[in-house]
Amino acid sequence: MARRKGLVINDDQMQMIDGVLAKLQRVAGSNFVALVSTSGQPITTAPPDVDADTLSLAALAAGSFAATRQLAEVLNEREFTLLFHEGRDTNLHVMQVTDQILLLITFGHETQVGRVRLYTSRALEVLKPIFEDAEDSTEGESFVDKEYSGEAGSAIDDWLPKENA
Amino acid sequence: MALINLAAREINYKIVYYGCGLCGKTTNIQYIHRRVNPNARGRLVSIATEEERTLYFDFLPLSLGTVKGLRTRFHLYTVPGQSFYNASRKLVLQGVDGVVFVADSQISRLDENVDSYLNLWDNLREQDEDPADLGVVLQMNKRDLGSIFSVTDLTELLNHTGSPVIEACALTGVGVFETLKTVCKQVIAKSSRS
Repeated sequence: MARRKGLVINDDQMQMIDGVLAKLQRVAGSNFVALVSTSGQPITTAPPDVDADTLSLAALAAGSFAATRQLAEVLNEREFTLLFHEGRDTNLHVMQVTDQILLLITFGHETQVGRVRLYTSRALEVLKPIFEDAEDSTEGESFVDKEYSGEAGSAIDDWLPKENA
Repeated sequence: MALINLAAREINYKIVYYGCGLCGKTTNIQYIHRRVNPNARGRLVSIATEEERTLYFDFLPLSLGTVKGLRTRFHLYTVPGQSFYNASRKLVLQGVDGVVFVADSQISRLDENVDSYLNLWDNLREQDEDPADLGVVLQMNKRDLGSIFSVTDLTELLNHTGSPVIEACALTGVGVFETLKTVCKQVIAKSSRS
């Protein structure tokens, strides 16, 4: 079996990604935009200080999107590439960027869905190659090394309460 | 391999608690949520049926703090144990870094344990996961009950990888943190450069 791909995003890539998201948020009239991994981990948001539980949001959006893909399979559809939730005040639109990345965009009823979809599609064209590079990266290896492993091991020993204490 | 965000100096690992229905996966997560320092944990999210059986997953994010300049997080998930929820289990396994297989030690649960164990490895194989890349721990739960398997017998049945074995009673917390510590150390060791 091939060693599975990691995802390592460096400073330059994140700067480009944040630039794309900030622009998308502005032109699409969105409340906020987020990138999460398909395994349920948050990557970044625009604006950066968004008032939402991004950890839960990422886990639930990834789960919801994964379920949508399975629904497509059950219905013999090749794929459902987007997911749309319409709320009373806020709508949520989820689109796949790459195999490992999802884009979440929220917006109110004053913003047209077509406008959001148009600008999101354009943003995806820019984001896709950036994440494809990040997925092939081995850059993380210089950070996650034996020293990191040793320090993390000690931190884990001090981290959790003693059994039944 | 974990998700590393060098710009945010952040690393995230995904750990999945796997096992048959009612073996104690959710009980492990609930105990961790209750007992861990509130500053080190996020919200516990559960997608369960009205009977409180896990329908999709439970999710609990934990923060270890900053290690060598990297903010380190573990995202704990459970899978639905009931056999007909296999599609959901596959989805939760995506991008997994470590697995805790929670075995119900009762002799009467032998078939369910074995089915779930085989199902875990089938699903990992389907996702092209190499077991050598994953942290794996076998937790033998419900050691406080009568009519249970010996550790040797359960190890023979449910541990072909020779993974660490921890005896537990998740309801009272015995072995819960030891399991978590062991799997966290394993996933970090696996992700670090050899």
